[in-house]
Amino acid sequence: MDEFLEIVVSLVKQFAKPGATVSAETPLIGEDGNLDSMALVELCLALEDFAQERGFNFDWSSDDAMSRSRSFFRSPRALALELSHQRQLQE
Amino acid sequence: MIVVSGASRGIGYEVARRLHERGQSVVGLSRGGRSDADFPVDKLDIRDDVAVSRYARRLRQHGIRVDALINAAGIASMNLALMTPIGVTSDLLQTNFLGTVSACKHFSPLLIRAGGGVIINFSTIAVSLHLEGESSYVASKAAVEAYSRVLARELAKHQVRVNCIAPGPIETALLRGVSANQVSRIVDRQLLKHQFKCSDVADLVEILLDNRAASLTGHVFHLGGV
Repeated sequence: MDEFLEIVVSLVKQFAKPGATVSAETPLIGEDGNLDSMALVELCLALEDFAQERGFNFDWSSDDAMSRSRSFFRSPRALALELSHQRQLQE
Repeated sequence: MIVVSGASRGIGYEVARRLHERGQSVVGLSRGGRSDADFPVDKLDIRDDVAVSRYARRLRQHGIRVDALINAAGIASMNLALMTPIGVTSDLLQTNFLGTVSACKHFSPLLIRAGGGVIINFSTIAVSLHLEGESSYVASKAAVEAYSRVLARELAKHQVRVNCIAPGPIETALLRGVSANQVSRIVDRQLLKHQFKCSDVADLVEILLDNRAASLTGHVFHLGGV
């Protein structure tokens, strides 16, 4: 999970709006979000690549991704948790 | 590579055959497959979102570059609105709308990875003409048009162009059960009053795939004009 959080934070920093401060709890989407729609897609493609290198598949269009309260795009930590969860399910 | 759904017959087959003939790398998708085509046709039911996702993932894992997606898979059913079984409406939405959505959703990331690309979805002239006896079919295709217009906006920043082709009555299996008189009445409502063919649709597909159409996105093109 720590490795995942590290990679998610680093990727979010890469794609976030200029000058954005990114932490594990930084909102990614919504009014206070640090990613625009283009950056969000780019982040997902990068995470697909990351997952593929680690031998699992990252599904970023599931029903959970849509939910406002449970969306794994709500923060880097939630996203890292989801990555970890998806890897466990596929092991 | 260009991916064409509904490639075992009708417009999809003709489009895929034409592109293959022009030397393009084409893969057709079809529920039942087709072994006698000159181009490869993979078995894939676009109504199965999980299967479409798995197929697109396989292309990504094999590093296959996808430049265009042509969603020609579709079904039709003609009946009065009050006499259309709900199951028929559901099948139309499942194949025509949700199948298109599923393919767009799972193949678009591949187009973005390629640095841009083209999506061509299929509607029908019946949407603009509000043809009686085609309520559920028209609704499923109107949904495709609306979805495509929004998708065009969302994907423009990724250099992916999304357009719809809305043919009139083209001589394909979908037209089975429509009388010559009915066809003639529809053709009469087009600006150009003659029946177009699959090859005319393939011409338009070639134009939309061409780099000279780089300014065109978010449009619905009606064969014959409405």
